[in-house]
Amino acid sequence: MIRPSGASQHLACPECDALFEAPVLNEGERVVCPRCAALLFGYRRNSVQRAAAFVLAAAPLFVVSNCFPFLTLRADFRESQMQLWQSVSALEEQGYPYLAGAVAVFTLAAPALMIGGLLYLLLPLMAERRLPGAIPLCRWVYRARKWNMIEVFLLGVLVSLLKLGKLATLTLGASFWAFVALILCLAGAVAAIDPREIWTRLEDAKS
Amino acid sequence: MTAFAPDSAAAAGLALCHACGRVEPVTLEHCPRCHARLHLRNPESLQRTLALTIAALILYFPANLLPVLRVESIKGTQENTIIGGVIQFWQEEDYPVAIIIFTASVLIPMIKMISIVWLCLAARSGWSPRAMTRLYRVTEFVGRWSMVDVFVVAVMVAVVQLGSAMSIHAGAAAVSFAAVVILTMLAAITFDPRLIWDAAAHSRRAN
Repeated sequence: MIRPSGASQHLACPECDALFEAPVLNEGERVVCPRCAALLFGYRRNSVQRAAAFVLAAAPLFVVSNCFPFLTLRADFRESQMQLWQSVSALEEQGYPYLAGAVAVFTLAAPALMIGGLLYLLLPLMAERRLPGAIPLCRWVYRARKWNMIEVFLLGVLVSLLKLGKLATLTLGASFWAFVALILCLAGAVAAIDPREIWTRLEDAKS
Repeated sequence: MTAFAPDSAAAAGLALCHACGRVEPVTLEHCPRCHARLHLRNPESLQRTLALTIAALILYFPANLLPVLRVESIKGTQENTIIGGVIQFWQEEDYPVAIIIFTASVLIPMIKMISIVWLCLAARSGWSPRAMTRLYRVTEFVGRWSMVDVFVVAVMVAVVQLGSAMSIHAGAAAVSFAAVVILTMLAAITFDPRLIWDAAAHSRRAN
C-alpha cells in the first residue's frame, strides 16, 4: 500500500482535472479517472526492484549495441559494415547536421539518459537513499521518455533491409540483436515503473 | 475565460504539478517536491499548439514534394519522394511495407494535424469531452511512429558506402519531414486536454 507521508491525499486527473481522494490500492489494482476514464497509475509490489533489474540488463545491451557491427552489406566483392552511430555520422557528412542531431537524440542520447538516469535513481532508492541532483534528474528522465524512439528506429531498419535486400546481401550483426533486446528491456523498465511511487519514495529518501 | 469545471482541481485552487504529479495550491507557484512551476492549465496552450501545427503544415508540403533519397548507380541517378517509395514497394508487390510506409509517413502526420486542430476547436466548444480526450490520447501515442521514414534514410545512407558501384544521399525532404514529426509531437505535448472539460462545463452552464 502506498501512503505518501506528508503529501496531500488529493489526486487530479492530468487529462480532465477531476479532483478526487487517493484510494488505497492492493497488488495489481489500478486507479482510473472517474470522469474521463484515463488510466492514472497502478500498484504492483517491488516495482522499483523490478524496474532496476530491467535497467541493469539494458545498460550492457546499450553498450554492446553501440560497439559492434549492426549490419553488414555485401555486393560483388565489396563489403561494408555499419555501426549504430554511423547512421548519425553519415547524415552529418552529407551536410545534414540538424537531422543528424535529431537522429542522435532519438536513438542515442534519449535512451542513454533514461538508462543512466534510472540507474542513478533506482539503485540508491532500493536502500531508501537519494543521490545529489536526483529530483531534477527524475524530471529529465520523464522528459527523455517521449523522445526515445529506439523501437521506431528498429522498424526503420527492417524497412531498409527490405529496400536494400534487392541490391545486395545483408547480414545482421551482434549489435542488431543486442539492440532488439535493449528495446524489450527498456520497455519492461518503463512498464514496471510507477511514477507516483518513485516520486513519493524520492521525497522520503535520505539524501 | 477563467471558468473551470466545478468538480475540477482548478476550481478548488489546486494545481497538478506537470512534472511530478503532486497536487498543491496554485498560490505556492512552485512545486514543493520538484520545484517545477505550478499552473492550473498549460500557459497559452491553444495559441502555442496552433502555431506549432501551422508550422508543421507548411513543412508538410516540401516533405512530400521534395526527394527524400537520391540513389546514384551505374544505371544512373534516381530520386525518390516519400510517395515514390510507397509506389515502388507497391509495384514490387511488397504490399505490407507499402502500407506501413504510407500509413506512417503520409496518413498519420495528416490525420494528426487534422485532429490537433479539431481538439483545439473542442477546447473552445466543449463538444463531447470524453471522445475528444480519447482522440487526444491516440494522437499523442501515435505521433512518434511517423519518424520511421527518417530512420530508413539514416540507415540506408550509413550502410551503403560502396563508393563507385552505388551511393545513396539523403534528400532535403528528410529534414522537413523530421521537422513535421517533431513539431506535431510538440503540439500534442503543449495541448492541454483539460481545456476541453472546462469548455464542456461552461457550455452546460450556459444552456
